[in-house]
Amino acid sequence: MDLDMNVNAPHSMGTTIIGVTYNGGVVLGADSRTSTGMYVANRASDKITQLTDNVYVCRSGSAADSQIVSDYVRYFLHQHTIQLGQPATVKVAANLIRLLSYNNKNMLQTGLIVGGWDKYEGGKIYGIPLGGTLVEQPFAIGDMHQLVVKAVSLAIARDGASGGVVRTVVINSDGVTRNFYPGDKLQLWHDELEPQNSLLDILNAPSPEPMNI
Amino acid sequence: MMQIFEYNGSALVAMVGKNCFAIASDRRLGVQLQTIATDFQRISKIHDRVFLGLSGLATDAQTLYHRLVFRHKLYQLREERDMKPETFANLVSALLYEKRFGPYFCQPVIAGLGDEDKPFICTMDSIGAKELAKDFVVAGTASESLYGACESMFKEDMEPEELFETVSQALLSSVDRDCLSGWGGHVYVV
Amino acid sequence: MSKSVIETPPKGGFSFDLCKRNEMLSKKGVNPPSFRKTGTTIVGLIFQDGVILGADTRATEGPIVCDKNCEKIHYMAPNIYCCGAGTAADTEAVTAIVILLCLCSDMVSSQLQLHRYHTGRESRVVTALTLLKRHLFNYQGYVSAALVLGGVDVTGPHLHTIYPHGSTDTLPFATMGSGSLAAMAVFESKYREGLTVSSPIPFFWSLIFLFQRNEGIELVTEAICSGIFNDLGSGSNVDICVITKGGKEYLRNHLQPNPRTYTSSKGYSFPKKTEVLLTKIIPLKEKVEIIEGGDAMEE
Repeated sequence: MDLDMNVNAPHSMGTTIIGVTYNGGVVLGADSRTSTGMYVANRASDKITQLTDNVYVCRSGSAADSQIVSDYVRYFLHQHTIQLGQPATVKVAANLIRLLSYNNKNMLQTGLIVGGWDKYEGGKIYGIPLGGTLVEQPFAIGDMHQLVVKAVSLAIARDGASGGVVRTVVINSDGVTRNFYPGDKLQLWHDELEPQNSLLDILNAPSPEPMNI
Repeated sequence: MMQIFEYNGSALVAMVGKNCFAIASDRRLGVQLQTIATDFQRISKIHDRVFLGLSGLATDAQTLYHRLVFRHKLYQLREERDMKPETFANLVSALLYEKRFGPYFCQPVIAGLGDEDKPFICTMDSIGAKELAKDFVVAGTASESLYGACESMFKEDMEPEELFETVSQALLSSVDRDCLSGWGGHVYVV
Repeated sequence: MSKSVIETPPKGGFSFDLCKRNEMLSKKGVNPPSFRKTGTTIVGLIFQDGVILGADTRATEGPIVCDKNCEKIHYMAPNIYCCGAGTAADTEAVTAIVILLCLCSDMVSSQLQLHRYHTGRESRVVTALTLLKRHLFNYQGYVSAALVLGGVDVTGPHLHTIYPHGSTDTLPFATMGSGSLAAMAVFESKYREGLTVSSPIPFFWSLIFLFQRNEGIELVTEAICSGIFNDLGSGSNVDICVITKGGKEYLRNHLQPNPRTYTSSKGYSFPKKTEVLLTKIIPLKEKVEIIEGGDAMEE
């Protein structure tokens, strides 16, 4: 077994982040685990960062890189808001992130999802993955909020690099609502597995067949 | 693999006494296992009350020494006074840290008398991380045995004569266990 | 034409002159020396009235303990302190740089704000945080300083951790360094929000405050001790710094769980004295006092 836990590795967010648009707004969701190698450096981090009043961003990848990108974009957007005299649109925010990610793509290890609401286009979601591509994500219908929570909790259940709590942000024409779902209240999604006490129980059970090596 | 400090070999120690300090070094300069000189000066006087010892790679030690003397002379001209030992230690630290990503292979030991004859001793690693000690500091290839010797022989508030004897004994017994330093020592008691 | 090569003192930033030579040497199989590290346990927590920072006091150079009682809690501003782990020179230099920058920005901001506030403002913790992370991000992790930054400003108590690559976290309790796992285990099991006593009686406020603070200090001490005893990179004593709205208290060597027990009370005597080959006595220069005034000097 690899005993070197690599605690000195750069701080990175093995992450689950998600953004969905619905009729009238967007829902952003994220887990809260930040790890350095094998060690969970922060179990309650906030990966959904505010850029302006109406635009938020979900961060993934290297923590340092995604923080610096969102810090710069926040700074640019505030400047832009003052120059324009009205709130920046989601498209502008996404384009700024794209520009930074693309121009420094050999330096940055970060993928981001921008989401927000503006009066021109309503709720919008853009994904900016590793290389600095800008992808507009499509529209969905139904109870998006529960879908987001369910998706993140499923990821937490199955992915070792994601964990902790679920945080969501809902942005629509009425404003912004932040939600928090503590880890012990989340569904575990282990229902499909029979609860087992020990290996002996599995061996004694008639089915399923024990694994052979 | 060879450690760079093992190229020339060195032993340096400084100790604090009552209103005095002692700084001592060995006299050997070698190129790996071959001895080149047996009267090498590793300790130099910056001014009457501050002494500097440079262990490690001799070429870097000399370069660094000249830069430090140059900077100290500029300070003397500008301020019309000598540097306090603390100030001098900060200067050495700054010069070393400037080369953080390509360091001088030198470990300095600084000893001096401050205001009211308060002794000051200090050592650094090769990139200028200061270690201010109240009792003794050591550096060089013999540092491991010097740590042991000083740790047991040191006493507080020694008079100059006793301090000289302790430093000398610590140095001599330590360099006996290090093949890269030796040939007696220079001791400065101030 | 010969160019003057005298290096003038006011010069900032790193110098990479020796990099090529050193790289050549290490390619030839010559090991560069190890740097002094603070393989460390540093912690911080927020209690009801402020922040408590804690650190052990061991500095190491490879397997050797080179300082048994070093200071790892650095001063940043009267209301901000910072614990450093990693390469000792880096933590020292980084905090020094930020103190300088803080002073500069303080000077700028206080000059700007003087009309409105009559007095200068305290520096904010986020200012220090931003300056630190910007510096560390610029050097992409090569300046290896891991920091726990704590302080109290107009916006309340703050605790942040900063990693060598420039990422930051904001937490109610934090640990860093090689002993961080041991210390975190203590915090995870015993930390509670506020570290407070329920329904305090106003009259006994000061007494209760003392108790709460002691509760916090005790928890920090315990966390550091678990680092000292369970992590080989940490050791010696416990340093603590309590920062509250009113002021701060720096408890150097708050606890000394590893006192020296092996000193010989009689000391050593050397029956055979060292052979002295040459003695040279250099008298110190005499101090000359210059009496100002009088007509000694003429225009």
